[in-house]
Amino acid sequence: MEHQRCYIYDPDQADGRSAKRQRTAKLASQAQLPARLQTYHELWSLQNQRIQATLEESEKVTQENIATFIRRTTEGVRDDLAGIPSGLIVAGPSIASHGPFFDRLGRRIKNITDSAYLVLTSGESPNLKTLLKNLIKKATSRVDDDDEEDLGRPSVSSRNAPKLLDFDLGHLQEWRNRNRVQSVVVVLQDSEAFDSGVLEQLVELVYSWRDRLPFVLLFGIATSAESFEDRLSGRTTRYLEGQKFDVTQSDEIIEKLFSAIVASTNVPLRIGPGLSRRILERQKDHVQNVQDFSDGLKYGYMSHFYANCTSIFLKDGLSFEDVSPEIFEAVRNLPSFRIRVEMMLEKSETNEIRSLLTSDQDLFQDTTANVDQGKQILYALSSAAIVFARLRHSLHVSPNVPLSSIWIRAASGDMVGSPLLRETMLSVKKLPSDKLDQLLTAFHGLDVTYFPINLSAYHHELTDLLKKSSSSTPLRTQHDVRNESLRTTVVAQKVLLSKHKANLSEEDNAYSDLVARLHDELDEYFSTTFIDPRALYLSEVLIYDLKSPHTEVFQPKPRFAIERALASPHDYLGCECCGVDNERAEDASLASTQPATAILYQLYLESGAIINVSDLWSAFNTIAGDAEDENTESKTMALFQRSLAELKYLGLIKPTKKKADHIAKAMWRGL
Amino acid sequence: MASAKRKRTEDEVENTTPRKLRAQILVNGEAEDHDAPGVQTPSRRARVLQGVENGTPRSILKKTGLLNGANGTTPKSSRKLEFQTPTKSPKNDTPNGTPTIVRNADRSARRKSNRKLVERTINGDDSDEEALDEEDELAQNILGDIEDEEAGDAVAGPQEEVPVPETPSKRGRGRPKGSGTKGPGRPRKQRLPTPPPQELPAHEEYFWQNRPGGAKTSNNTLSAQTLLNHDEYFQTMQQYEERHEPEMTFLWELHSRAYDQWVFELNEGFNICLYGYGSKRPITEAFIAHLYEHLLENVPYKGTKKTPKIVVVNGYESGITLKEVLMMVASAAVPSNLKLPNQTASLVLFILQYLSENPPQHPVPLIVNSIDSPYLRKSGIPAILASLAAHPSISLVCTADTPNFPLLWDVGLRTQYKFLFHDATTFAPYDAELDVVESVNELLGRSGRRVGGRDGVGFVLRSLPENARSLFRILVTEQLALLIMDGDHGGIGEDEPTATPRNKKILQTKSAVSDSVQGVEYRVLYHKAVEEFVCSSEVGFRTLLKEFHDHQMVESRKDAMGTERLWVPFRLEELEGLAEDLSGDAF
Repeated sequence: MEHQRCYIYDPDQADGRSAKRQRTAKLASQAQLPARLQTYHELWSLQNQRIQATLEESEKVTQENIATFIRRTTEGVRDDLAGIPSGLIVAGPSIASHGPFFDRLGRRIKNITDSAYLVLTSGESPNLKTLLKNLIKKATSRVDDDDEEDLGRPSVSSRNAPKLLDFDLGHLQEWRNRNRVQSVVVVLQDSEAFDSGVLEQLVELVYSWRDRLPFVLLFGIATSAESFEDRLSGRTTRYLEGQKFDVTQSDEIIEKLFSAIVASTNVPLRIGPGLSRRILERQKDHVQNVQDFSDGLKYGYMSHFYANCTSIFLKDGLSFEDVSPEIFEAVRNLPSFRIRVEMMLEKSETNEIRSLLTSDQDLFQDTTANVDQGKQILYALSSAAIVFARLRHSLHVSPNVPLSSIWIRAASGDMVGSPLLRETMLSVKKLPSDKLDQLLTAFHGLDVTYFPINLSAYHHELTDLLKKSSSSTPLRTQHDVRNESLRTTVVAQKVLLSKHKANLSEEDNAYSDLVARLHDELDEYFSTTFIDPRALYLSEVLIYDLKSPHTEVFQPKPRFAIERALASPHDYLGCECCGVDNERAEDASLASTQPATAILYQLYLESGAIINVSDLWSAFNTIAGDAEDENTESKTMALFQRSLAELKYLGLIKPTKKKADHIAKAMWRGL
Repeated sequence: MASAKRKRTEDEVENTTPRKLRAQILVNGEAEDHDAPGVQTPSRRARVLQGVENGTPRSILKKTGLLNGANGTTPKSSRKLEFQTPTKSPKNDTPNGTPTIVRNADRSARRKSNRKLVERTINGDDSDEEALDEEDELAQNILGDIEDEEAGDAVAGPQEEVPVPETPSKRGRGRPKGSGTKGPGRPRKQRLPTPPPQELPAHEEYFWQNRPGGAKTSNNTLSAQTLLNHDEYFQTMQQYEERHEPEMTFLWELHSRAYDQWVFELNEGFNICLYGYGSKRPITEAFIAHLYEHLLENVPYKGTKKTPKIVVVNGYESGITLKEVLMMVASAAVPSNLKLPNQTASLVLFILQYLSENPPQHPVPLIVNSIDSPYLRKSGIPAILASLAAHPSISLVCTADTPNFPLLWDVGLRTQYKFLFHDATTFAPYDAELDVVESVNELLGRSGRRVGGRDGVGFVLRSLPENARSLFRILVTEQLALLIMDGDHGGIGEDEPTATPRNKKILQTKSAVSDSVQGVEYRVLYHKAVEEFVCSSEVGFRTLLKEFHDHQMVESRKDAMGTERLWVPFRLEELEGLAEDLSGDAF
């Protein structure tokens, strides 16, 4: 089996040993796993719908523009066109998202317009001939792919005409005659990666066929339309009738997704601030794409429901019978439960504590109530974050802080007392009446479920005030800078600066009063809702914020893992023999009990760029070999050879030609 | 001649004594072009020496220092101590080494280096790297000198057992390898190297680890008998018991607890990639069994006789092709009555399209062991595997062995793969993945051992006709003659008799002089063969050669001039043995 290249697994041939061993007892945390997974599926499918909706939404406009463009070109009389209609689609630098984008675009174009949609990538188009072959193959469906047969087969309808070569666009024309499509849309997905010669040839060819085949070219561009144009010669450019389309950049989409999935109000399970920050950073640093982002969130959900048995309390309509006793035990062991009990002890609510500790029924009711309450608190928090972001947006406070970072701050509990909040509230204080008007209008469409301030009352008051006010200038509050002047006095050769408040008009006074009330209310609102969610009772159920499986699973450090395994095998093996030596001084000799490859690797680490194998062997033999017993030398040698081969297999060493019996080091530790 | 030479070589291998080196300096000082076939210094050492001699002024200084204060310097490398013959050492210590000789040596060194420079410019094809190396050596010399003294001051005294002469140490800063090999009780490290600086920034650490001193190594070579051949290796390994067996089983069991989780992850549309040190085949094997059971208990199979099809691919098997993989996937995913396209590209499309149109009830599991093996790295394959993995009806579980495997995939492929990575360090030996003996031989440029060494060649030759044997004998003697000739006239610079064929390959590109070392010219060999009536036509000659090629007893390559050269991939000693056997009618 192990030396077969590939095969279909057959349990009879595999040895029974592994089959037997793998029947391990279910772990305790697996209690009610199916129920939890079902909850996961319910919650995630909701989230997934949101993701899809957001994606559709964000790309809708561009896609529709492109589709309209294609439709327009096909409807118009073709002779009018000077060149090939072509769309330059600036899809942004994250090439990973290009593929999915063009897939979605294709679906939409096929839906809206009557056209063939053919995607070509640079990989399948090294030269014009192959490009055309692929193009024709893709267009004329894949029923007959066998190239060998393709060559021999006479082309369908042209019995009398000379046989067409398989890269002749005549095939395409024939196919179009049969299938009657309005236009042939050819997408060059990664136009930058195409050879510019091929591009030019293609454009020229398509241009010459334009009277017979209604081509539309779409170029996927990662850089800019200008640099695309630079690559083509002037003549080729003249053949093209281009229009530029900007695709929503992935970071904008990510921001939207984040608002929709993590920061929006109606989210039962929160991805915590730490993890959110991590996911966003990964997006930014490694130009990832939307798919990866949602995968990250999905994995967060998966981990929560898979590994945390208390997550079952997120299930809707949970009844007491659904919950097994182990889960209550688990709840009683939650840190936040303990904190709560301690707090109750301080208040000497011993009866309640007793009932929580002894009665599962009571605990169930208490927990479900608290989970609901916690959800509400978190909804309010998210809502406040949204209000805050809107507030900043309409105040035009710079720097522009996106909702994602506001939410992350809020969720990590450092919003109250933060400079961000203070600064924003200060600018609220100074708000002139025209700005306030805008602000209140901007808040109109807000979901007011968790927003206690009656804005429309303020709005009414404001309009009343404005009506009363005769002057055309907006009303200003007493904190407005324009109502203050600096007075400089020189007393005994010292300059004294003093602030002087201008006298306020009656309207201004009334207005100041209004703004002050609004400010106080907002301040009150923010300080009550921006709590630290991690201090919340049952936050373990409501928030998933674990770094551990997430980082390893998405950002593995395979090299570090291997280096660590070899440099300190004790970390993995946890054996008694090798650990002791490691605790001794750095320079202590290598423990001979370590696995052979580990010993050799550590010797390898000590050496320079090239290594004499003979000396390496002697060193290895000293450590791993048995000095007294000469017979074991062959064993040591076998181990040495195996270790050497393994190091080579791992790519750590390679043969060198510099000296006889030398090997070259190919990797440096920690670099 | 040959046997005498052989003896000397063995000598050389066993103890490359510093004493000899020093003797050689003196010899060089007197007559630098002295014909010294016995002094077998590969070119590298010659350079090293030259480096030392360049710095003679310091050695004079040191010598006076020795005169004044007995313990002024310490030997740089402890390992030299062992080979030091005490009888000789006083001679070198005493101011006997008259200044004139030293100056002579100095001058000769300078002359030699000049000659080398001229040579290099004439040949013009010495790599920059070499030149750099030399600079490094020089720098190292100077640096090493300072360090030497520092270290000497630091370590001197207690560890010094015998008043040892200053050795023309070229050990470099690295830990002297092989030190203390024969003395079991002695501490391995006598001289502490400058402690590696902690927490350097990455680039600094690179330079630290690449510092020039590290490149100095001894000229010891492994004797042919030391390495085990296949039989010996397997015999030995069969008796070997892993000391860490329980711990490895424990690790294995740790991983096996995650199987359910992995199944869940696969069901959610992710693919899994396992990494970490140790063969991960045992894990995938067990996981496949687990997955199989899991699938059997679920919808499409429960209560029926149907069995799930799990495709397993062993990427490490040499010669695995994409087509095989695809055919196997197709056989699991597509009903057998459908005709499959022949070309790989269309086969992929076909499979993917079929799966999109007729999605199976569960994704087809595809297990790939060692997805980063060289065979699966070839251009295009990762992209196609990724497009398979990206399909919702295929779930991929793969293992990756090399530390830098993520570099195989760009962002686009990585997204397609949709991997979740799990550390699956097992410490298990790479039994199936590796051919240990072969790979070590390759590493050391001893691929000749593939045929089974001398005995293997003999075995093959015995089964061949007389003519073939004669041809082989001609080839071996010619090659030997070339080697020895080169060793004779080339002087120290080109003399590299213990070189492996690999070494010769670069030598050939390096200088025109050593070009002749590189095997026997095809034409020459042919004419010789015709002369000796081994064959009458080139066709016959080719046929004979082909047999050797098939048994990997002969290697050939075109040199820079485009002439084909042939050689037997053995080292000098073995060649001599072979020649003896051949002429002695041993076969």
